[in-house]
Amino acid sequence: MTPMHGMPPESEMSAEILIIDDDRELGDMLREFLAPDHFRVSTAGSGEAGLESLEGGRFDLLILDVMLPGMSGIDVLKRVRQRSDMPVIMLTARGDDVDRILGLEFGADDYLAKPFNPRELLARIKAILRRARPAPAEAGRRLAAGPVEMDLRSRQVSAGGTAIRLTGTEFELLRCLLSAPGEVVSRDELCREALGRRLLPYDRSIDTHVSNLRRKLENAGVDKPSIQSQRGVGYRLVGGD
Amino acid sequence: MRSLLIRIFLSFWLMIVVTIIVAAAMGSYYAERARAAIETFEVSEAMLDASASLQRDGRDGLTDWLESLPGVTQSLIYVLDRHGRDLLARPLPRPVKIAVNRFGGARSQRQPARRDFGNLRPARPFTELVGPDGHVYTLFVLPPKGVVGRWLADRGRASLFVLALIVSAVVSYLLARAISTPIRRLRESATSIAGGDFSTRVTERIGKRRDEIGLLGRDFDRMAGELQRAAERQTELTRNVSHELRSPLARLRVALELARRRAGELPELEKMDRETERLDDLIGQILEFSRFNAEVREQRSRLDLGDAVASIVEDVRYEYTSGKHSVEVGLQIDDSYTVYVYPSALNASVENVLRNAAQHGQAGGKIEVRVFADGPDALVSVCDDGGGVAESELPQLFEPFYRASNLRDHETGKGSGLGLAIAARATVLNGGSITATNQARGLCVMIRIPLVRM
Repeated sequence: MTPMHGMPPESEMSAEILIIDDDRELGDMLREFLAPDHFRVSTAGSGEAGLESLEGGRFDLLILDVMLPGMSGIDVLKRVRQRSDMPVIMLTARGDDVDRILGLEFGADDYLAKPFNPRELLARIKAILRRARPAPAEAGRRLAAGPVEMDLRSRQVSAGGTAIRLTGTEFELLRCLLSAPGEVVSRDELCREALGRRLLPYDRSIDTHVSNLRRKLENAGVDKPSIQSQRGVGYRLVGGD
Repeated sequence: MRSLLIRIFLSFWLMIVVTIIVAAAMGSYYAERARAAIETFEVSEAMLDASASLQRDGRDGLTDWLESLPGVTQSLIYVLDRHGRDLLARPLPRPVKIAVNRFGGARSQRQPARRDFGNLRPARPFTELVGPDGHVYTLFVLPPKGVVGRWLADRGRASLFVLALIVSAVVSYLLARAISTPIRRLRESATSIAGGDFSTRVTERIGKRRDEIGLLGRDFDRMAGELQRAAERQTELTRNVSHELRSPLARLRVALELARRRAGELPELEKMDRETERLDDLIGQILEFSRFNAEVREQRSRLDLGDAVASIVEDVRYEYTSGKHSVEVGLQIDDSYTVYVYPSALNASVENVLRNAAQHGQAGGKIEVRVFADGPDALVSVCDDGGGVAESELPQLFEPFYRASNLRDHETGKGSGLGLAIAARATVLNGGSITATNQARGLCVMIRIPLVRM
């Protein structure tokens, strides 16, 4: 299955992934599991060690367990978000809504309940990394609504000239809404575009991401356009003319 | 009489009223005796002096005698002439007037007595003196009384009784309240502990009393503290256990995937994968079940019940649209109902009831969900078309790991047997209740949650 020689085909991607989980054995097995897809996995057994690794190297994606000894996963996430918008996937205990919601609120891109199906983890890693690379056709395009401007190549968003820092997921959400101003975009479509996967039942992550995005726009002084919720359907951007 | 307040109040008050009546009865008995003694005294002592003065100097002599009496004694003795006027021209006190009216006053007036006693001549409460000129003078001796006593004798008896009633009512009420209020507070605290809020303390609400109630309050708080610690330990334990169980499960799933890569797709591996998933579901449900029992990490908030149910219905529709077991879900929301709940507990109760209905309803069948109000509560009813369960099994439906005997999906192993138990726990945590009944088509589960009063 692996290419015979030289560069992998363009559809394949390679990336540096850091896993912060106190279960070292699991980390080692995931390294083995992800290797055939050209993902290089480093592991850290605690939040402190993980932050140190992040200082030292360049990583494309972080997989972060919420339940860590010492410094909690949520605290690690807060520290990471202070200086980086890198994609983060949280591993949470299933049924623990609070951890999950907190994780998303503090800027995690997606979450998986542990124990997860490893194939599901692989799919999510791919989806998030694919999303983080703009399709060549879109590069150079700009989207705008009211004072909000989006540069698809440099992946920068600004309001009236001031830059707004968005995570990858929030960026994709805003891109979807800006592409179809005034139209309702379904939650499922937003999920596929922003998280690269279908919406799951009982999945409120898109709503949390939207409320984070809303808050960031409001903090930047943008009152129009605003994101309006359509109960049971999705979201739309209004007042962008 | 349900309320302790009313019971204590009425018993104390009744007791006091009875005491007043008995005291009043005894009082008048002794008063009568005292009066009898005074009447004896009248004739024996003062009467002889008065009689002598009248004999010697006529009316003036009698007036002089009256004036010569010391103040207190004088104020108790009235001497009336034949016109019924006091010799010292004092206004007549009530008892004297009454006696004059009743017995006709001085005999010389020749007036008939108000009351006709026939040939009966009742003993009179006054003495008559006949002067040398033939005029009759009537001499009254009032029983000695203080100011209060006289006021009472004049017009106070009824008012005193009313006053005593009022004072005793107020005192009894205050006493009853002093006892029942802290007990009510204790009860409120006990209720909120029963509702899962172990942080409740009574001492801060009933004050630092030194009496038995204060001690009871302190013991209650110690108990609440113990409960809180026990609940925290249990939560901690469950979390740890769940974490410890999940770690090997997580490794198992990755190992399975690695094995699949080496050996290719094997039916045994598929089966192991499914079983791992089921084990994970079960751990998740046990965790959820114990979570709604012990600890809630979120805040209660006001939300619209219809909105919350609508979004869960949407999820269940999504989950059951495709596949072998597709189910239609009908939703009817009568109105907007505000409830004050833990959102995750509300979600868990509605979701578990709905999924239970979806699993036990007929494939391709329809579930009816309705949100409506009944008195002070909002209700969510979920009715399936699965034929229901035996009446005798209805009460056990909400017990953990209970499985109704006629369930068709036994062999599929669907559900852990915890779904309805979680729903029941979560509903109770939100101050509500849950019931199940058999309807024409199948089972109906009702979730009842108190409405927020506007």
